[in-house]
Amino acid sequence: MERQIINKKKRVFSLEPNKNPSAVFTRKYTSHLVPALKKLNMNKNSSKQTVKHEVDMALALSAQEFAWSRFLLQKLSSSSNPTTTTSSSSDGIRILERPDKEGGNEEGGIEERLRELKKLLPGGEEMNVEEMLSEIGNYIKCLELQTIALKSIVQDST
Amino acid sequence: MLEGLVSQESLSLNSMDMSVLERLKWVHQQQQQLQQVVSHSSNNSPELLQILQFHGSNNDELLESSFSQFQMLGSGFGPNYNMGFGPPHECISRTSSCHMEPVDTMEVLLKTGEETRAIALKNKRKPEVKTREEQKTEKKIKVEAETESSMKGKSNMGNTEASSDTSKETSKGASENQKLDYIHVRARRGQATDRHSLAERARREKISKKMKYLQDIVPGCNKVTGKAGMLDEIINYVQCLQRQVEFLSMKLAVLNPELELAVEDVSVKQFQAYFANVVASKQSIMVDVPLFPLDQQGSLDLSAINPNQTTSIEAPSASWETQSQSLYNTSSLGFHY
Repeated sequence: MERQIINKKKRVFSLEPNKNPSAVFTRKYTSHLVPALKKLNMNKNSSKQTVKHEVDMALALSAQEFAWSRFLLQKLSSSSNPTTTTSSSSDGIRILERPDKEGGNEEGGIEERLRELKKLLPGGEEMNVEEMLSEIGNYIKCLELQTIALKSIVQDST
Repeated sequence: MLEGLVSQESLSLNSMDMSVLERLKWVHQQQQQLQQVVSHSSNNSPELLQILQFHGSNNDELLESSFSQFQMLGSGFGPNYNMGFGPPHECISRTSSCHMEPVDTMEVLLKTGEETRAIALKNKRKPEVKTREEQKTEKKIKVEAETESSMKGKSNMGNTEASSDTSKETSKGASENQKLDYIHVRARRGQATDRHSLAERARREKISKKMKYLQDIVPGCNKVTGKAGMLDEIINYVQCLQRQVEFLSMKLAVLNPELELAVEDVSVKQFQAYFANVVASKQSIMVDVPLFPLDQQGSLDLSAINPNQTTSIEAPSASWETQSQSLYNTSSLGFHY
């Protein structure tokens, strides 16, 4: 929170905006999301599902060099209410219980966990383990940047 | 030089008159050449140095006493070496038997950069070395025949070595394999063909590399050890992030009608400034850069990341945690509308 206050005082722009990948991602993300929100706002029929849709769409469009973003785009374009995260939140409860049962058997537990991880990643179930692990890495990064962007948007409007 | 070695040995073996002394002298020459070969390759492994030191002495008792040590070294070799070199993971392994038991074999993996390139296409080889006299002679004869028949395409002379220092074997075998196209492979008893286990090992190490990278990314993963715990943490973290995004988008949906249109243009620029500052202060550029060109290779180059990871990740993860704490505090209130 303090960082935002500091940033409001000194506006420093990056000299090489295209070199830093996180800046590139966030710029793309906000440039996709904010106009979409504007459009939603103007149409006056913004439901929570649609905002989520736009949020996911912006994420997928800003990270097109990754495999998971392609899967996400496919999911978004194919179905009207495609929410990867809402499905995972129901899985989340299952996950929290599972480690108690799987605690003893580490080898089988690892397989289970890898499968769960695959489910979390859009398109993860069609990848093999190595690919999935690297994709998870950059998916996590993009999710973090996305949360920062969303927080800034929300903070700005309040 | 290598061919000279081969002919020399074949001659000496042919004669069968080579006394033990001469044989030992020849072996000693091999040692020195091995050290040269190894020093040329940039190999800093402590196990290798131990081996080099070890085979300075041709003592059989030493061999027996350090049998177990070599076993550990042998098992430790694989991952160490594979970490140091690129994708073609072909290694030369030598097995040498203990003095007492011909059936027991040790495995020592030795890899140098040149050899991997030379042997990149070929199989791994595991010759058995028997240190008993009769077996020695048998091997000698067999190797004679092989070396006489063709220089290329037959197994190594290392089999014949009397003093049974494993690294000597590896040196000869290594030097020989550089010019041989085909390497005779002998599977060890009770073990699958080496190509599969090699591929397995390479695959396992790729996976562990990626796990390490994930461990650096996910905050709080350092405290947990073992794959299962780490995977648990990663799963929890991803779920946390996704739930956060979901919550924020819900909040945004509520606030959306109140968004001022004029503000949004300003806020876009503000994001850029914010992220430029945030990233600069986080000093996490080294972390981010490897992410993006990876889709071509499909692998993570950890050597570039690792030196900077530990120091730079601490600060951002701490700040993220405080941010998330505050977020969850508000979220517990926020969900009640």
